[in-house]
Amino acid sequence: MKHLRRPTVLIGAGLVGVWVLVALFAPFLAPFDPLKSLTPLASPGAPAPGGGTFWLGTDLLGRDILSRLIYGARPVVALSTLATLTAYTVGVSAGLLAGYYGRWIDTGLSFLANVILSFPVLVLYIVVIVALGPSPINVVIAVTFASAPAVFRIVRTIAADLKQRDFIAAAVIQGESAWRILFIEILPNATGPLTVDFCLRLGYTTIIIGALGFLGLGLPPPAPDWGGMVNEGRALAFAFPHLVIFPCLAISSLVLGLSLLADGLNEARDAQARGS
Amino acid sequence: MRLALPPALTGLGKRLGTMALTMLTVSLLVFLVLEVNVDDVATKVLGQFSTPDQRHTWLLQNGYFDPLPVRYARWLWGFVTGNWGLSTYYHADVRDLILPRLAATGVLMGATLAVTIPLALGLGVLAGMRQGSNVDRGVSVLAIVTTSIPEFASAVFLSAVFVFWLGWLPGVSTLSSGVTIKELVLPVAVLTLSSAGYIARMTRASMVEVMASPYVRTARLKGASTSRIVFAHALRNALGAPVTVIMLQIPWLLSGVIVVEVFFAYPGFGTLLYQASVNSDIYLIEACAMIGVVAVVVSQLISDVVNTWLNPRLVRTIRKATLQDPTASAGGREG
Amino acid sequence: MTFEPPILSVKSLSVALPPGADRPYAIHDISLDLRPAEILCIVGESGSGKSILSSTLMGALPRGLAIQSGGLKLHDQALGDIDLTAQSERAWRDIRGRRIAMIPQEPMAALNPSAKVGRQIEEVFAIHGRLAPQRRQRGARRAEAIRLIQEMHLPDPERIAASYPHQLSGGQCQRICIAMALALNPDVLIADEPTTALDVTSQAQVLKLICELRDVHRQAVLFITHDLGVVADIADRIAVMEKGRLVEIGSAQDILKRPAQAYTQALIAAVPSFEPKPRPPAPNVKPGHCLEVEGLSKTYGRTRALKPANLTVERATTLAVVGESGSGKSTLARLLVRLIEPSAGSALVNGHDLARLRGAALQHARRRIQMIFQDPFGSLNPRRSVGATIARAAELAGCTRQEAQNRAKTLLQRVGLSAAAYGRRPAAFSGGQRQRVGIARALAMRPDVLIADESVSALDVSVQAQVLNLLRELQLELGLTIVFITHDLRVAAQISDRVAVMRSGEIVELADTASVILHPQHPYTRALIGAAPGRGAI
Repeated sequence: MKHLRRPTVLIGAGLVGVWVLVALFAPFLAPFDPLKSLTPLASPGAPAPGGGTFWLGTDLLGRDILSRLIYGARPVVALSTLATLTAYTVGVSAGLLAGYYGRWIDTGLSFLANVILSFPVLVLYIVVIVALGPSPINVVIAVTFASAPAVFRIVRTIAADLKQRDFIAAAVIQGESAWRILFIEILPNATGPLTVDFCLRLGYTTIIIGALGFLGLGLPPPAPDWGGMVNEGRALAFAFPHLVIFPCLAISSLVLGLSLLADGLNEARDAQARGS
Repeated sequence: MRLALPPALTGLGKRLGTMALTMLTVSLLVFLVLEVNVDDVATKVLGQFSTPDQRHTWLLQNGYFDPLPVRYARWLWGFVTGNWGLSTYYHADVRDLILPRLAATGVLMGATLAVTIPLALGLGVLAGMRQGSNVDRGVSVLAIVTTSIPEFASAVFLSAVFVFWLGWLPGVSTLSSGVTIKELVLPVAVLTLSSAGYIARMTRASMVEVMASPYVRTARLKGASTSRIVFAHALRNALGAPVTVIMLQIPWLLSGVIVVEVFFAYPGFGTLLYQASVNSDIYLIEACAMIGVVAVVVSQLISDVVNTWLNPRLVRTIRKATLQDPTASAGGREG
Repeated sequence: MTFEPPILSVKSLSVALPPGADRPYAIHDISLDLRPAEILCIVGESGSGKSILSSTLMGALPRGLAIQSGGLKLHDQALGDIDLTAQSERAWRDIRGRRIAMIPQEPMAALNPSAKVGRQIEEVFAIHGRLAPQRRQRGARRAEAIRLIQEMHLPDPERIAASYPHQLSGGQCQRICIAMALALNPDVLIADEPTTALDVTSQAQVLKLICELRDVHRQAVLFITHDLGVVADIADRIAVMEKGRLVEIGSAQDILKRPAQAYTQALIAAVPSFEPKPRPPAPNVKPGHCLEVEGLSKTYGRTRALKPANLTVERATTLAVVGESGSGKSTLARLLVRLIEPSAGSALVNGHDLARLRGAALQHARRRIQMIFQDPFGSLNPRRSVGATIARAAELAGCTRQEAQNRAKTLLQRVGLSAAAYGRRPAAFSGGQRQRVGIARALAMRPDVLIADESVSALDVSVQAQVLNLLRELQLELGLTIVFITHDLRVAAQISDRVAVMRSGEIVELADTASVILHPQHPYTRALIGAAPGRGAI
């Protein structure tokens, strides 16, 4: 545990923690209603009619940017987490089976994973969205679809390697059931790399969801969406940079936090293995 | 003792077969997702305001009531022969639309790779050679930060500096007067920032592993200097994994390209696909999807060939790296 | 033995370890001399510091370690004594390969996998600027490399020079490494466990080669090893190390026949003897065959990993299965525990054919035959406490949870660990202790037969002796039938009642131990015994 007290982990966890709390307590933290139009294009720090301050200014339709940022954390955090969790469920199950049993199961699942991985993510997403229509659930489905094969590959490699170890052979010789071998002998030994990957994948998913919002393919307006905010403010960014800078900083800081956390956890794991 | 035959020939055959099978499966998936619901297809082609009668007539005329396998075969044949249908939005032949855009994106991707690969490999090798030093830490921090910023965000930041504040570069890259360096700088910079970091870290991990290997120790004990160790021994063995990673980054780059092109209004493949998605232009989307996959599959083939040439034993450093350092695993962003 | 001045002299050398290690010094106060045309063997178990010593002598200590005190001198005809503790890295680069050369432990890993071996030998000349490839002499380096390969008694040297390391065997790779070390005719050769990773026949060839280097090239060889048999064969002088200190040093005769220190005496006593000892049978055992194997075979595609094998093992006796790598002994072991599916044949354990059963019947029959593995680090789940691992085995044999826990605690004590070890994870134990846990786990199912697959190969010789004694005690107490897979003939000689010798997938000789060791019939067995090092001396 002492290995976890390193700057990368602490800073990363801090950043992520802040945004999670913001998402959870949005209604208590946001100074204004994110959908309410007040003073259009107010500068950061300008006073609001009826009291309060537009700390980060307002957008084209007069909505407080800070409040939209705060509320915008909700879909980002919720959808990224949900998408990554479902991707993990699918990827881990398939990966364990493919890595442990090998042969046909492995060939078939790996081929399927490669097919899906042949799609650039956004292309895949566009195909799905055009077919199914934009909505939060479809975002989760599409991103799960795109991420699960990557998780599958990692888990499969780990499972195939662990399978070679003698303690797995011992379990087989004792007549242990395959289910218990997969989930009790193999999986716990993969939690190290998987935890690190989970954090990274949360980050990538967040980037994708941001990009979808930017392309106008994410949540329909007027819902606050960081990527969407950048898209809306782009035309006026020359004169009103606050329209786009703050959402960009928001999403970058969240992903940075996740990347630092992943890196820190990985270093901690190495340090622990070395016994230093 | 027999010398082993180069695996390139048999491997190549197998690889081509897998490629074909993958493309076939992809085409099936794309077809099923987009064209299985015929009413949807008709609505998208004829527009929201078409009547059920109009749609029915159109579907009948275009053979949409034939059995699914027949329709799939016809559709696939169309692709193979170059008949990619008509764009509903642009009212032009899809093929005529795509090809020039593809060329423009090709230029963008090519320029990006030309900048990213030397930069990332160079930094990665340097960091790996001097593990634990300030150079190493610096490269790692830089890599983490740059890969954490989404393409549209770094586009915003770079534009804020170079377009709005310094005024050195144009804000859009519409290529109205052909391809110019000035218009390429920002898009290439954004794409480089988003992909170089990851490649650099993977290269670093591979380099660190190689520098700690027994054969590098042997070279050291023969009296070799550091530069000889790096150039004659380490590089060839360390670059195998990064090459694979670079090729695996291509799908990621293609996604990023869409965002970057839209941001800078660059007239490429990405903006075309974007427009198609906004307008539910089915045939255009299908064609773009297929082409995107072809690009990825071809790049995987090239990566396999280069890998085989680089390392006669096809050492599974990728596999080992996955286990030791998932932040530098080949399963990174896209798998 | 010569009486020339020493070529390398070490005086009170100490290398400190970074703070937080289990002892303050890696090596402490080591003094020894190395003379031309002699082989000095450094013997020690793991943790003795012998590898650090060899790294120090090459000026290649790992990061964080440095010479703290003491002298290290290399004698040069022209320049007098060179103080090796005060050389810059650049000076060391000149010395390494040219004056002092190293022969590595794992030959295949020590060669660059993507360069041809001939080029790697040529590189030694390139590094030290010899045989510069001017136009007339373009082939000079290549010719010299080929000559060296020939000197290593490798046939078809041109083809070998054009091969990649993975295309050669371990023994061939090692000879390439020796050729590389020999290229510039260095004064000192440091061989760090050079034959540990080789088969016994390859080992014999390499040892013969090293003796030639001493005799023909008059090199001073520092040979580091843990294998006293090898030492007995080739050493002129022996130095014994323990926990970083030099315990004893002297001529081979003195050390082997009249060891002065207790540690040395214990070390020599722990080496299994080639003299088969009489083995009293286990008491209270129903006579008969416990294990009967008939026609058991395994084929992978075109390769016949195991040709149809027949053997029987009497209850409460030990059968040793001996062979080199690729002999099929591991395949046989894994077939017996049904870890892999047999292609044909049967394997009866007290009447139950493990090779043919399926489903619940197989599950039930598995408890009759269990295995202990080779690698103490990979054979236990690192995420589970050792107690839980053993208890789980007992549960699978039909115990309730409480019964299983009790049985686990009892077994831990029986194998020599405390009951308090129950809750600890494998990382808290040494290699020998982990092997004991592995034995406890295997015994938790109360098997009739125990398969030991190279179970002591990864252990130090003194720990090995303890584990073998433990197995014998358990055999006598529980009436266990043991099949012991090993490549080490000494172990086989000491612990078995009968020996099966395997080669290329078939059993070439099967008889009682005394007959096989003392009067081998099959030419391969004879060759194997002939190649075993140190047979007369220890």
